[in-house]
Amino acid sequence: MAEEKEKSIEKIVEAPPEIGRFGQFLKEHGIASEKLPDAAGGIEVISLDAKNLQSALKILRSSEETKLDLLITVSGVDSRQSGGTFDSVYHLWSYDNLNELVIKVKIKADEVEEDSLPAVPSITNMWPAANWHERETYDLVGIKYLGHPYPRRILNPWDWDGHPLRHDYVQIVDALNDKNPHSFR
Amino acid sequence: MSTEIKSTELKTDEMIINMGPQHPATHGVLRMLLTLDGEFVKHAEPVIGHLHRAQEWQGQNRTWFQYQALIDRVDYLSGMFTSWAMARSCEVLDECEVPERAEYLRVMVSEMNRISSHLLWLGTYLIDLGAMFGFPFYPFREREKLLDLFEEIAGQRMMFNYIRIGGVQRAPNDAWLKRLKAFTEEFEDRVDEYEAIVTENPIFLKRTKEIGILPLSLAKQYGVTGPSIRASGTDMDLRKTKPYSVYPKLEFDVHWLDKPEGGDTWDRYILRIREMRESNKIIKQCLDMLPTEGELSGKKQNAGLRVKAGEAFSSVESPRGILGCYVISDGKDKAIRFRWRNPSFCNLSVLSELLVGSPIADIMAIFGSVDVILPDVDR
Repeated sequence: MAEEKEKSIEKIVEAPPEIGRFGQFLKEHGIASEKLPDAAGGIEVISLDAKNLQSALKILRSSEETKLDLLITVSGVDSRQSGGTFDSVYHLWSYDNLNELVIKVKIKADEVEEDSLPAVPSITNMWPAANWHERETYDLVGIKYLGHPYPRRILNPWDWDGHPLRHDYVQIVDALNDKNPHSFR
Repeated sequence: MSTEIKSTELKTDEMIINMGPQHPATHGVLRMLLTLDGEFVKHAEPVIGHLHRAQEWQGQNRTWFQYQALIDRVDYLSGMFTSWAMARSCEVLDECEVPERAEYLRVMVSEMNRISSHLLWLGTYLIDLGAMFGFPFYPFREREKLLDLFEEIAGQRMMFNYIRIGGVQRAPNDAWLKRLKAFTEEFEDRVDEYEAIVTENPIFLKRTKEIGILPLSLAKQYGVTGPSIRASGTDMDLRKTKPYSVYPKLEFDVHWLDKPEGGDTWDRYILRIREMRESNKIIKQCLDMLPTEGELSGKKQNAGLRVKAGEAFSSVESPRGILGCYVISDGKDKAIRFRWRNPSFCNLSVLSELLVGSPIADIMAIFGSVDVILPDVDR
């Protein structure tokens, strides 16, 4: 038991406080970020607080050094099983150079009140490209984007119940096997 | 109370009109909610989702092997690229080596697919503009030959399931290669033929010049990629800027127009024509460089296919732009999450800006020139 404890302490000491290139860049501009394990191919992944998202993206996009001006996607991931969070993931590229960065905003699932959705600030005001991506993420994963100009479902019908890409989603009406003659679906 | 009329101008109300979803020129089911002031568009909102088939949901509820057969239905005109994007994501995650022969075959069939996709676009675009008779059969004649070749090598004319995680499905025989060579030799003349009919055609010029101008800054804000943005003044093509597979070994040019103030619909047309010629060059080189012997796949193709835990995002340059696949795996039989970055989805979102101020007659000319395919938008 004591040995195990020692080992675990050693591990903590051994691991250096890693910080990636973009994490360092953000730190220089006074924005704290957390480094996550790299994506396959050595792409840097950082995690940001929801409140820092807009300011961080503004700097990363406009600075000559990073110039991450191509928003590839905004995706939502239901990682409640592995980490207990809902993730809003931003893949950023650049039109002019080879920079690549993945930003994750993690919202703890147990901090989300019952009957409400995890909320992340919208970036549509600075990036029109995010408009449809955020609507889709809201529609399929159920992440609310605060400040979105038109926060409605985009792929499913507007009266759809639930968010299909959550791992606990159960389809309420079975369109193929529904035998109820009064059902409109 | 005075009832005199103060102005002689006739007051007209704005009108809201639905265009689609069953409009023949939308090639699928796109509904556009137009606010019209007489003939002119004041506001346009594309309404999508009519073709939503829950492809991302299928990704996390099907095994890897099942899903790779399903996924080239997303963009049925360029299925090779969708398979390729998925295969690349899984390979980079799995640290799986792809044999060189398979890489050459991938490039070859993908470039064939790029040509066949552009050919269909060319034919239908001219139909949209009103050239109903005659012309569409020219590009379809060549497309038919390509589809026959696809049928022989992949077993299907459109949903190929040819590019697999780790490699490709099967090797072509000599007769097939010979037929493809014959195709590449005559194709250049065929493109000259299309150009002789269309490029300087006065009616075509009148319908396409100076409309649907997409400025570079606007395109960048909306994340537009592919030929549509290369017509507006950037040379971004993943095959050159972030080279993958065997593209660095091949000689080809990326065509783009230095027009930061914006390319019009004619510019987007001419760019696709030039792209077809380049693809033809690439196929010719692949035919010469293709190793005659060797492995076809670095991974066993059976129902027990697994991908190591982790996350990866990979992308390929599809005929419509950057096609990306974001995959999260925990090493089990199904993925945790599949997320697609579809070029049509992003390119379509800029349409509401492009249409404002143009007459109804130009809507289809502009929409067609962006080359959006609706199943790719709705997934």
